Amino acid sequence: MEKILRQKAKELLESGAVNVVIGYGWNRSKTRTTPVFITDPAQADTLVWNPLCVNNLSLYLTRKFKEIKALGKPAIVAKGCDIRNIVVLITEGQFKREDVFIIGMTCNGVVYKQELWKGELTANIMPTKCHNCDVRNPHMTDFVVGEKTNFTPPEVPTGMVFDKIKELDSKPQSERWDFWIKEFSKCVKCYACRQVCSLCYCERCITEKNMPQWIETSAHPRGNLSWNLTRAMHLVGRCTFCGECERACPVNIPLNLINQKMIGVVKESFDFKSGYDEKTHPPMIVFSPDDKENFIK
Amino acid sequence: MADKILKKAGLGALIESVTGKGGRFVAPTTDSRQVVFKKVKSAEEVATDYILARNSFKEFLFPQTEVVAEFTMSKDSVDMKGVEVYAPQTVVFGARPCEAASLAGMRALFTWDFIDEFYTKREENTVVVTVACTKGDDACFCTTVNLSPESTEGTDVYLREAADSYIVQAVTEKGKKFVETHAAVFSEGNAKAEPLFMPEKIANIDIAKVSARLKDKTHYDDKVWARLTSKCIGCGACTFVCPTCRCFDIVDEGTAFEGERRKNWDSCQYDTFTLHASGHNPREHQHQRWRNRFMCKFHFYPEKFSSKGCVGCGRCIRVCPVRLDITEVMEEFSK
Repeated sequence: MEKILRQKAKELLESGAVNVVIGYGWNRSKTRTTPVFITDPAQADTLVWNPLCVNNLSLYLTRKFKEIKALGKPAIVAKGCDIRNIVVLITEGQFKREDVFIIGMTCNGVVYKQELWKGELTANIMPTKCHNCDVRNPHMTDFVVGEKTNFTPPEVPTGMVFDKIKELDSKPQSERWDFWIKEFSKCVKCYACRQVCSLCYCERCITEKNMPQWIETSAHPRGNLSWNLTRAMHLVGRCTFCGECERACPVNIPLNLINQKMIGVVKESFDFKSGYDEKTHPPMIVFSPDDKENFIK
Repeated sequence: MADKILKKAGLGALIESVTGKGGRFVAPTTDSRQVVFKKVKSAEEVATDYILARNSFKEFLFPQTEVVAEFTMSKDSVDMKGVEVYAPQTVVFGARPCEAASLAGMRALFTWDFIDEFYTKREENTVVVTVACTKGDDACFCTTVNLSPESTEGTDVYLREAADSYIVQAVTEKGKKFVETHAAVFSEGNAKAEPLFMPEKIANIDIAKVSARLKDKTHYDDKVWARLTSKCIGCGACTFVCPTCRCFDIVDEGTAFEGERRKNWDSCQYDTFTLHASGHNPREHQHQRWRNRFMCKFHFYPEKFSSKGCVGCGRCIRVCPVRLDITEVMEEFSK
C-alpha cells in the first residue's frame, strides 16, 4: 500500500494537481509516526502507512492552520474515520469538496495509542472505533489505496466504551455526577482536547471570551466542569467519535464516554450519525418542519 | 563501610513518620491508568514499576491554580486581602534525577526580580528524594543535555535501588536533616545496587552548538522553524507536563462584589498567550510559539540564569499528540 500511496502523492505533486500532501511519516528512530506535509515530489517516498497512523489529519485542513493553508491545495491521506470528519467540515461550510484531494486508505484498524504498539495489531490495543468500524473502505475519496477489506476484529475485548456507558447509565444520577466530577477534577485546562479536534475549529473559543468570562480559566472543579460540558454540548450531532481528544488528554479523562453517549442520544432523537454524507447537514444546524419537538413549529 | 539503607518494606514506616509529623508525602501512584505524582497515605499506593510519572512534581511547588489574594468591592472602594501561603512540610519521593535538576531554573525565575513566596516557601519546605533510574525508554535524553541517572542536582536525598532496599545518600543539608529526623526507618547495611539505565547520548546533538546558534539571531525568521514545527497543534500539553515550564496567568474570578485573584498555569503554546489588547499578536503563527519555547529552554534560561531550561526527561515527547520530538529540532540546530 505504501508504494501506491507514494506513487500517487508524487504524481499529484508533479502534475501540480495539489501543492501539498498531508500524510504520515516516521520520527527519527522510526518507532512512531508523525504528521508530515510533503511539498516536494522527491520527498513523497517518506510517506508511510501502518497501524501507527492514528492521527486524524483532517485537523490540518481547518482554518486554525493558516500556514498549511498557505501552502496551496492539499491532498490528505485519510482513513475512513478521518474522512467522516472531513464530511462534517464540508457540511459546515468550512471548505468545499473540491478544495481537497482525498487519498482514502482502506484500513484494518490502528492502535489506540502509539506507545501500545509491540509489533502486532490486536483487538486489545485498538480503540472502540476500530472494533465497530463501518468505514474500513473509505466512503468519500478521490483515490483509494488498498484492496477492499471485509475485516472484522476477532474477540473484541469487553469493558470498552459501550460497556462502560451501559454501566454508567445503570447508576443513579448522583453516582454518575460523582463519577464525572472525579474525572473532571483531574483536568489541567490545557485544552489539548480542543486543539486536537478538527471540529473545534473556532478561531475564538468560548474559553477565550473574557468580557464576561464565560468559563473560568482556573483548573478548579467549577471551571473544569463548565469547560468539559460546554465542549461536549458543542460537539453534539457533529462528533464522529474519532477519539483524538481522549488520546491527546494528558490526564486520561475518558472523553470517549461523553462523546459516544451524545452520539447515541442524537441517533435516537434524530436518527442521524455524522460524517457519512456531505450533503446532509447535522441536526443541530437545520430547521426541519418534520422535527418531532413541537416548539420548533 | 556500611551504607545507609532504606528497606523497601520500610517505606510505609517512612510515610507514616512524615505524615505523622503533619507533612505531606508525594509519590508516583497509579491513577486513571497512568502513573502520576500524587499525595499518598500508604506504601501500597506507591508505584514502583514506572519510568517517569506522567506529570512532573512541579504542581506541588507551583500548583495549577492558586488563590493569591481575596478582594471585596463596594461602590467606592476595593479591599484586597492577602492569603497565607500554603507551604506544608513535603516529601517528594521517587522523582528522577532529571526532573530534580529542574529546581534550579524554577528558583531562579521565582526569585528573579521579585521573591515569589508562594513558590519559595513551599520549595524550602520540600525534600526531594530521588530514585535513580533502572529503566527508561526511547524518549529519555538526559545524557544529551549533560545530565544522567547519576546526577544529584536539585536532589536532597539520592536513592539507588537494590533488590529489597534503597541505598541512601543524603546530598544536601536539608537531606541530611531529613534522614536524621526519620532515623528510625533507616538502617546500616550492605546492598548491591541495581545497574542504572543510561540513555544513549544522541549522536548528532551538541547542546553548546544549539545554544550558540540560538544566540545568533539570524535563525529567527529562518524557514526551518515552520518546516520542523508547523505540525504543532498548540495544545500546550508539553508545557503542562514539563518540569521546567513555569509560565502563569493572573485572573480575578468571582462576582461583581467579591472574588479571588488566582495564579493559573499558562502556556506559551497558546495563541492568546502573547495576544495584545490592540489585537496585534507578535507570535501569530504556531511555529513562532514553538520557537519561543525552544529558545526559552536552550537560550533564555542558560543565558539569563545559567540554569538548565531542559533536563531531558522526555515528557514532552511522550505526551505530544503529533509526536513532535524536541530532540529532532535539537539535532537540526546542532548542524
